[in-house]
Amino acid sequence: MAWTKPIIREIEC
Amino acid sequence: MNLATSDVPVMPRGVRLHEDKVRNRWVLLAPERAISLDPVGHAILLEIDGSQSFGGIVSTLAGKYNAPEDQIAADVAEFINGLMDRCILKVLA
Repeated sequence: MAWTKPIIREIEC
Repeated sequence: MNLATSDVPVMPRGVRLHEDKVRNRWVLLAPERAISLDPVGHAILLEIDGSQSFGGIVSTLAGKYNAPEDQIAADVAEFINGLMDRCILKVLA
């Protein structure tokens, strides 16, 4: 698996 | 916040990883909020065990992903800082 910049995706209510 | 290699990121009480089997992904559950994780975000959080330092986490991931340490350090620091801003992670100096 290649390194990719991690994304923080907040799950909206 | 600039992370030192000796800083130890920890998950505060009430924050945990959870496998969302319905959508086949991992989420980070915290009081009143949830974060959807991509595979790299999940891999970073698996290394955050409350004892491993930021420098150790970067070295481990650099070996696992065969990627440059400076790139991983920058991305992991940004990820950790983003979660700290949301009070989902904290760092022990």
